[in-house]
Amino acid sequence: MIKTAQDMKSYKKQIQQALADSFLRSALDEFNTVYRENRPNVYKDIDFNSLRDAIAENKDSLIPFLEILFEEFKSNAQKAGAIVHRARDARQANEIIARIAKENKVKKIIKSKSMTAEETFLNTHLEKQGFIVTETDLGEWIIQLKKEGPSHMVMPAIHLSRYQVGELFEKQTDLKFDSENIDKLVKVARHELRPKFLEADMGISGANFAIADSGTLGLVTNEGNMRLTTTLPRVHVALVGFDKLLADLGSALRILKLLPRNATGQAITSYVTWIKGANQSLNTLSGKKIMHVVFLDNGRLSLSKDSVFSTSLRCIRCGACANVCPIYSKVGGHKYGHVYIGAIGLILTLFFHGKDNDRAIVKNCINCQACKEVCPVAIDLPHLIKKTYARVIKEDGKTPVKNLILSKLMKNRKLFHFALRAAYLAQQPLSRGKSMIRHLPFFMDKNHGFRSLPVIAKTPLRDIWQSLGPELKNPSLKIALFAGCAIDFIYPGQGEDLLKLMKKANIQVDFPMDQTCCGLPAMMSAQEKTAKELAIQNIQAFEAKPYDYILTLCASCASHLTHNYKKIFKEDKESGQKIKLFTDKIIDFSSFMDKVYTFPQTHENIETKVSYHAPCHLCRGLHVTNEPRALIQKAGYTYVPAKDEEVCCGFGGSYSIDFPEISSEILKKKLDNVEASGADILVTDCPGCVMQLSGGMDKRQSPIKVIHLVELLAQKK
Amino acid sequence: MGKNNLIQLMKEKAAGVGTIVHEISCVSEAIKYAVDLNRKKKLKILTCPGLDQKDRDSLQDLCKSSGMNLLKEPLRNHAYLIDTSLTWVDYGIAETGSLMLASDSEDIRMATMLAKIHVAMLPIAKIRLNTEQIEAELDEILKNNSPSYTAFITGPSRTADIERVLAIGVHGPVELHLLLIKEMKS
Repeated sequence: MIKTAQDMKSYKKQIQQALADSFLRSALDEFNTVYRENRPNVYKDIDFNSLRDAIAENKDSLIPFLEILFEEFKSNAQKAGAIVHRARDARQANEIIARIAKENKVKKIIKSKSMTAEETFLNTHLEKQGFIVTETDLGEWIIQLKKEGPSHMVMPAIHLSRYQVGELFEKQTDLKFDSENIDKLVKVARHELRPKFLEADMGISGANFAIADSGTLGLVTNEGNMRLTTTLPRVHVALVGFDKLLADLGSALRILKLLPRNATGQAITSYVTWIKGANQSLNTLSGKKIMHVVFLDNGRLSLSKDSVFSTSLRCIRCGACANVCPIYSKVGGHKYGHVYIGAIGLILTLFFHGKDNDRAIVKNCINCQACKEVCPVAIDLPHLIKKTYARVIKEDGKTPVKNLILSKLMKNRKLFHFALRAAYLAQQPLSRGKSMIRHLPFFMDKNHGFRSLPVIAKTPLRDIWQSLGPELKNPSLKIALFAGCAIDFIYPGQGEDLLKLMKKANIQVDFPMDQTCCGLPAMMSAQEKTAKELAIQNIQAFEAKPYDYILTLCASCASHLTHNYKKIFKEDKESGQKIKLFTDKIIDFSSFMDKVYTFPQTHENIETKVSYHAPCHLCRGLHVTNEPRALIQKAGYTYVPAKDEEVCCGFGGSYSIDFPEISSEILKKKLDNVEASGADILVTDCPGCVMQLSGGMDKRQSPIKVIHLVELLAQKK
Repeated sequence: MGKNNLIQLMKEKAAGVGTIVHEISCVSEAIKYAVDLNRKKKLKILTCPGLDQKDRDSLQDLCKSSGMNLLKEPLRNHAYLIDTSLTWVDYGIAETGSLMLASDSEDIRMATMLAKIHVAMLPIAKIRLNTEQIEAELDEILKNNSPSYTAFITGPSRTADIERVLAIGVHGPVELHLLLIKEMKS
C-alpha cells in the first residue's frame, strides 16, 4: 500500500526509482505540456480570474461557519429521509460506515471514487471486517487490483501504461486481451463490474458539494459508475469532508463552471447528479433507499480556525496543481504526496496524515508558482507549502543543520559577504581562471554534475561601483539598484551593463551599500525569522534617499520584495506604511525598460535568433510577460519562440542543490526545447536562471549563448 | 439570445460532446427513431419509463411488428437486459449541451444508467441557455422536503483513466441520442 518516505535518505531512493520509470516520465511530461496548451481553449468562453476570485471569496465566507452549515444540512437531509452523521476522525468515520453495513446485513460493497475514503483508508478497514469491497471507477479499480494508492486526484491510475493495465485485467479474469486497444480494456471493466453493481448490498460514494439549505449532495463524474453505485444497492453511504459544505445551489453551480474545466478540460462532466434524501428503491421493503451521509472532520474544523492555513479548505480537488507542476511531471504522484498529491497534498498531508508523512515531501517544492496560477480557488499554494515546512520543523523540534547555518550566516551581512568572497578563493583551483567550473571535485555528489557551476567574481559589484562613476550632474531620474546576491557576487558585469544603459538615458543609479540578500533563500528553507530580519535590513538600507524606483535585475528578488515582504509584515500594522513605500518602488528590469526608460525601437534587422526563457517569478510572480519579448524585438533581434517558455528552468535557488536529480531533468527538457527553436542566443531576465541555463548549455557544449536581457540591450550602441 | 440561436447552440454543444442530435416533429417520430436505431444496431430490448400510455402502446405495437421486446417496469428485474431506453428529459442546457432529468423514479434511473443506448426526447421550448436559467427550477425541486435524484447528462459515459485516452461507454450508455421535438408546448 502507500509507503511515503519519512526521511530524506529513503525519499531520495524513491525519487531515483521514479525517475527511472520511462513510461511514467514520458506520460507525465506530455500531460504537463498538453494540459497547459489546452487551457486557453478551455477558458475561451468564461473569465477564469473573476470566477476564481468569486468562488474563493464565497468559500472564505463559509469556512468559519462549517458547523452551522452542517446542522442546516443535517436538518434538511433528514426531512427527506437521510441519516446524517459526523465523524471526528478517520477511524470514527470508518467505524460508523462498518456499523451501518453490519446493521443492514451487508456483504458486498461497491464504491465510486472518493478521495475522502482514500484519506480514511476505508477499504482496508471494511475488508478487515470481512466485507467484500469493489472499486468501480475505472482508475480506482485498476489501482485496487494493483494494491496501490491513487497517483492523481482525478486520474488515479495515470502512472500505469495500457500494458500494465492489461496484465492486471488478465490476472483478474483469466482471459487474454489485446492491451494495445484501450477501448477493449475499458469494455473489460464494463463487463466485469456490471454484475458487481447488481449483486452489491451497499454503495459508497463521496460528494463534491453538500448544499446546506436543501440537504442535497452534488456529485461530478464521467463514467456513470457513481450513478449505479448510488442507485442499485439498497444502502447508500456518502462520505463527505466538512469542507464540501456550501450554503446554496448557486455556490455549487458556480464551482461547477470551473471544476471540470480545470480538472479535465471539460465544460461539464458527463454526469452531474443532485441527490437528496432516501430515494425510491424497489430493492427494500419500504420502497426507499437506506441513505446515510457521514461528514468527516479529521482536522478540518481546526484548520477552519487557523489564520494561516484555513484557505487550504477552499480546495475543490481538481488536481490541476499537479498537472502543471514540473516536479510532479518528473516523479509522479506516488512520490509527490501521501494520499493527497500535488501542491495541495504537500500541505494537507501534515494535517490529515501527520508530520512523519510530510517531512520529506514538503521540501520538494521549487516555488515556481505554476500551481498558484492555475488554482481555481486562489490558494497561495507555494506560500502555504513553505508555511507547512516551517510547521513540520517546529513539530519535529529540530531544524536541519543546513537551514541553521544558512540562517546564521545570512543574518549577518558582513559575515555572509565575507563568506562569498572566501568562496572565490576556494574555487580558484577548480575554475583554473575560467568563468565556469565544468568538473566537480571528487568529494561532491555526482548528481550535481548536470551543469557547470559559475565562479564567484573576483571583485563584487559593490566594490567596483564607485569606480564606475555612477554620479550624474543633472539626472532626469534617480533610482537605486537592488543587486541581489547573484548580480553582486557572481555576475557584476550585468550590473555594469545596467549602469552603462542608464547613463545613456541620464538616469542616476545608486547602490546602497547596506543592502543584503532579499531573504528568499531563508524563506525557502522555512527560516521565517531570518527572512524578516533581512527584510528589515533592506528596507533600512533604501530609506536614506527618496528614490523614484528601486530596480532589480533578478526576477526572484523582485517578486519576493514585492509580494513576500507584505506577507512577512502582515501582522505588523505599524510597519505597514513603511513596507508599502518600499515595495511600491520595486520594479523589474523589463518593466522599467519598457515603461519608464521607453527603450527605442531600432530600425536595423539583426539576423541573430534570440529565444526567451520566462523566469517563474517574473511571468507568474509579477505577471510581466510581453515586455521582455517586446524589448528583444525592439533591439532588432529575431525573436524565435521556444516550446514551454514559461516553464521553470529547474533552478529554484537551493532547490537545485537539495534535489539535483530533479533539477537536472527539468533543465534538460528546457534546453532541448531551446535547442529545437533554432536560437543562437537564449535570453532571460533573472541571474538565477542564467546560472542554471548557462551551466546546462556549457555542460552539453552547446553553441547557444545564455545571457541576461540587460547584456543583450547594452550591446546596442 | 434568439430562439433559433439557442437551438443552434444546443445542437452544436451537444454534438461537441458526442451526443447524436436530430430535430423531429412529434413523439411518434421519436418512437420510430428508437425502433429503427435498435434494428440498425441489431439490438432487441427496449424500455420507455415515463412515457404516457398512448405513446407506450404505439411503441409496444411497433416493437411487436419489428420482433423486439418492450420491457415492463419495474426494470430492476431485467437490469441485465436493457439495450435501448427512450425517455423524456426535462430541460436542455445549451451552453454545455446538457440534459436535465428528474430521475426520482428508480425505473428512470435504471433505464438511463444501464442501457447501451439512451434516446432522450426534449421539447424545443425547454432549452435554456445556461445553468443560471434553470437554477430556480432545480432549487425548487431540492428545497421540497421529499427525496429527489436529479441528473445533468452531457454526452455518453466516458473515461480517460487509461493513458488519458478518451474511451466512450465505460459504465453508462455508449450512445446518447437527443431528439429535439418541435411541435410541443412547454
